[in-house]
Amino acid sequence: MSSYFTLIGFGPTGWGWQLVAATLMTLAVSAAAFVTGAVFGVLGAWAKLSGGRAVRGAADAYTTVLRGIPDLLVIYLFYFGGSALMTSIGKMMGSQGFLGLNGFLVGMLAIGTVSGAYQTEVMRAAFLAIPRGEIEAARAVGMGRALMLRRIIAPRALRFALPGLGNVWQQVLKESALISVTGMLELVRQIHLAAGSSRLPFDFYATGAALFLLLTTLTGLLFRGAEQRTQRHERQG
Amino acid sequence: MIVSRIAIAAVLALGLSHAAQAKDWKKIVIATEGAFPPYNMTMPDGKLAGFEIDMAKDLCARMKLECTVVAQDWDGIIPGLNAGKFDAIIAGMSITPKRMEVISFSTPYTASPTTFEVPKSMADLPLTGERINLSDKEAAAAAIAKLGAALKGKIIGAQVSTIQADFLKTYLSPFAEIRTYPTNEEQDLDLQAGRIDMAFASSSYLVSTLAKPGGDRVKMSGPFITGGSMGAGSGVGLRKTDPELKDMFDAAIKASIADGTISKLSLQWFKLDIAVKN
Repeated sequence: MSSYFTLIGFGPTGWGWQLVAATLMTLAVSAAAFVTGAVFGVLGAWAKLSGGRAVRGAADAYTTVLRGIPDLLVIYLFYFGGSALMTSIGKMMGSQGFLGLNGFLVGMLAIGTVSGAYQTEVMRAAFLAIPRGEIEAARAVGMGRALMLRRIIAPRALRFALPGLGNVWQQVLKESALISVTGMLELVRQIHLAAGSSRLPFDFYATGAALFLLLTTLTGLLFRGAEQRTQRHERQG
Repeated sequence: MIVSRIAIAAVLALGLSHAAQAKDWKKIVIATEGAFPPYNMTMPDGKLAGFEIDMAKDLCARMKLECTVVAQDWDGIIPGLNAGKFDAIIAGMSITPKRMEVISFSTPYTASPTTFEVPKSMADLPLTGERINLSDKEAAAAAIAKLGAALKGKIIGAQVSTIQADFLKTYLSPFAEIRTYPTNEEQDLDLQAGRIDMAFASSSYLVSTLAKPGGDRVKMSGPFITGGSMGAGSGVGLRKTDPELKDMFDAAIKASIADGTISKLSLQWFKLDIAVKN
């Protein structure tokens, strides 16, 4: 047991710092992907709810395709396909050699694009869950569109969307593991390297599982806190 | 230090990464797996180490190239080469016809011979320690006849769909019973449990097995088998469009084998000379 703590500790033969750095990297790339996805989600939900026929069709195609293909494929498409495309564009512009996106950017965009498709549906459903009477009441007191969005629609929709967004976040956190195929040093890649190099697969894979569980649990608590906060008026009323 | 590393990663994330310049070779990026000891592995401080890391240093000095060695996941390593993420793969990659369809290989630098793993208490098999090259048909046939007689009625384990399993099926199945396993580790467990009499595997793998807990109860025995269907060994993976880089690697590998550098590194990391012999 003490040898296990030496192994994952912070001494000269311990992998502690590497594991901490990789855990933070997983958190960073997941957060970046989730925020990217939120931007796509807001745009997608808006397009589905109030866009014209063409915009709605595009948003439908986006959510159908991105929710229907494996995430790994999206990552490969961005990482390998993206660099082939950029290199050929670079050649046209007269630059020699190879251009490409690095693993972090690819992970953020690829996972973000996929999570955006899920967030679109979450946000659309949240908007539709707002009682119509509240929007009509806002109109009746003469609120403008911007004020209505800020005072009524956004806070009410957020309250309905939070539980769903919490699920999407957990999904993003776990899918960030797929970015290891680009060689980016996030948690799964680091664990794989450590397990292979030390020939102690059980110790390291179990540690990786524990670290992921820690991340999902702690961030889950954050989401639960936020949910309770958005519901506080209802409990009083 | 960690904070600065993350800051650097974040800064890099904002920009585009730019790998090697085409054709006029001064700098190259070499990809390895970083999780396949002792060929290549990662140390607890995050640095790469291993036989191939030292060998790459030697080859780059011979080619007068500035080399950066990066760790890349095995699954993406061939697509990464062809997409231009790096210029060469040095990752214990066996030269196979299937891989030759998509990339080219340098001349091989190591060919880990195949041999038997037996319980320590067992008497040594015939031809122990001798090298048999399957390309030499006559000598190989004589050796197989000798082995076959000694293996009559034994049960031999090997990893499924490997060159080792194919060899057993082709040459030794008339004499012995062959059992295949999904991984080498499972075959080792069955050897320890006594369900099989011996295992047949690559000697570089067996050296690492002997170093593991329980490894003191087994030993290597029988001939070291190379050549022919045992494969061409491991080579440097290169893009098909870079023949001049292949020529440079070929010359450097040949020189490094000729002056004994690769043998020396192999003995240091594998405790066994698996450098290609001509």
